[in-house]
Amino acid sequence: MTKPPVTTDQSSDRASSRATDRSFTGPLEPVDDCTWRIPKSYKPGMLVDGLIFADERLIPLLRSDRAPEQVANVAFLPGIQQASLAMPDIHWGYGFCIGGVCATDPASGGVVSPGGVGYDINCGVRLVRTNLTLADVKPVLTQLVNQMIRDIPVGVGQGGNFVFSPDELRTLMREGVPFLARQGLASADDIACTEAEGCIPGACPEYVSDRALARGADQCGTVGAGNHFIEVQVVDRVENDTVAAAFGLHAGQICVLIHSGSRGLGYQVCDDALRALRDAPAKYGFDLPDRQLVCAPVESPEGKHYLGGMRAAANYAFCNRQLLMWHVRQVFARIFGRSWEALDMQLLYDVAHNMAKIEEHAVGEARKDVCVHRKGATRAFPAGHHDIPERYRHIGQPVIIPGDMGRASWVLVGGPRSLGRSFGTTCHGAGRCLSRTAATKAAKGRNIRDELLKESGVVARCRSREGLAEEQPAAYKDVDVVVDVVHRAGLSLKVARLRPLGVIKG
Amino acid sequence: MYEVFEHTADLGLRIRAATLEALFADAARGLGAVITGDLAQIRPTSEERFVIAGTDPVWLLYDLVGEVHAAFELRRMLFCDFQVSRDATGLQVVARGEPYDPAVHTLAHEVKAITQHELDVRHDAAGWEATVIVDI
Repeated sequence: MTKPPVTTDQSSDRASSRATDRSFTGPLEPVDDCTWRIPKSYKPGMLVDGLIFADERLIPLLRSDRAPEQVANVAFLPGIQQASLAMPDIHWGYGFCIGGVCATDPASGGVVSPGGVGYDINCGVRLVRTNLTLADVKPVLTQLVNQMIRDIPVGVGQGGNFVFSPDELRTLMREGVPFLARQGLASADDIACTEAEGCIPGACPEYVSDRALARGADQCGTVGAGNHFIEVQVVDRVENDTVAAAFGLHAGQICVLIHSGSRGLGYQVCDDALRALRDAPAKYGFDLPDRQLVCAPVESPEGKHYLGGMRAAANYAFCNRQLLMWHVRQVFARIFGRSWEALDMQLLYDVAHNMAKIEEHAVGEARKDVCVHRKGATRAFPAGHHDIPERYRHIGQPVIIPGDMGRASWVLVGGPRSLGRSFGTTCHGAGRCLSRTAATKAAKGRNIRDELLKESGVVARCRSREGLAEEQPAAYKDVDVVVDVVHRAGLSLKVARLRPLGVIKG
Repeated sequence: MYEVFEHTADLGLRIRAATLEALFADAARGLGAVITGDLAQIRPTSEERFVIAGTDPVWLLYDLVGEVHAAFELRRMLFCDFQVSRDATGLQVVARGEPYDPAVHTLAHEVKAITQHELDVRHDAAGWEATVIVDI
């Protein structure tokens, strides 16, 4: 027997009641006005405390799903350092919560967990500046967004305009964005303004399966679906004139935000790793509270294999966003009748929010190379860090925080306390507060596209009927509140708020 | 039968059936419904066979749903009907459906992967029940 298609109203009462049972009733002890502790005494097996950055406004949402339980579960991972951390955009994930951060020490048996990166390896965002103003764009906004959804591959099953042979894909995964520069598809500035200059060292494309290569062959340069999008925005408010000027931002300026990741290739790399690691916990004697936390020591053959493949997928993701930016530049050039260089469409920064990286951090009195897992969390290094592009090093790393398609997104700068409190990490977005099924139910009988236009002036184009309903603004927390927490915690500081004007989605 | 349940950013499938074979078949159909939003639009015009090796029902479920997902991702095949038989070596599956055609089929979700989070198969007096969460 089968039930008809998937919609919320066809889900049973039993499912709904189970969903409401999924709240967190464990301990959340206030540490300060924006940090909450789950003590390691909460569960036998936790090696460190859980620490969640949030304030009173977010606590009811925080308790409404099992994400804090996942923070506690991550504290079981061998070699974890200091604490299992979560950002204020935390929500329920699989294994790790979304918004989770964990650093492990490879020198003391610390592990790498594919679940701590997620399926969408190097999902991330990039922000493109322009020299256009709201007055330039407003008269042609609908035309611009329509052209974007015509020309830029977006949505389920949409292949891209760039198709790479397996050998080319392997080169792209080893070399990252510099490979695209050799094809005339990236500039030196694009490379300079991408995290890790668009190439994570140590990528091993030979560890990427044929199935992953097949899934990725025609998807580099495609947006995908789910929460991925491309959005035309206007700088609504500048909060820090000095930093905004260093980032080339000013009020009234048009920018474009691109959010996508490693597409099917990255999903498959993660999937392959989870299968390969199926027996690893027994082999290494790990007792884990969730299958999806499966892991292996960083220095083990399994750990090295995963990290080599993950880095290859990460480089693919940098190239994906580079090619998407290339499409965006072509669309703008067509609509405004000037080259992208004449429109000054420079990349402000590209930053990952699903990644595991070996970074040097202070841990207690020592400095250690640790494996920092960020799953739905953004690197946010403060001024002076050597991994920040030279042009921004005196000011701090740009951090780009997408909100929802009706309210706002933010540009922040790495904060002075990020290294000491969160292994140089901040939030990655607003964070969901409604499940996909609940959002679909809430959208029933409404026209989200018309609402966005009438209430927010946002021109939205979406390939699927589900996309706008599931991703409607009400499905997300208020990004202003989330950003306020990381600002007060000193993880990253407010620079500019951007308001959406037009969006394309899958 | 299958039902879709809430998971904050993703979707969960809960499947119930009298037999393990029916449980696996309905889980595979459930994935097709998540991808397309409506299984009725898929016509059973062609047939593929899958062999899933193993004995643990949890991993048989995970690997079968993973193969159905891969068939769409790699070959753009959509299935609406599954016949599952089981022996000591694993599952033998006959899947019926047709290739994705944008003129005929709508797609509802891009399923990134089948997760192992809360993956479960259990048996009680009412029959078999399984849980699968897919990443959207």
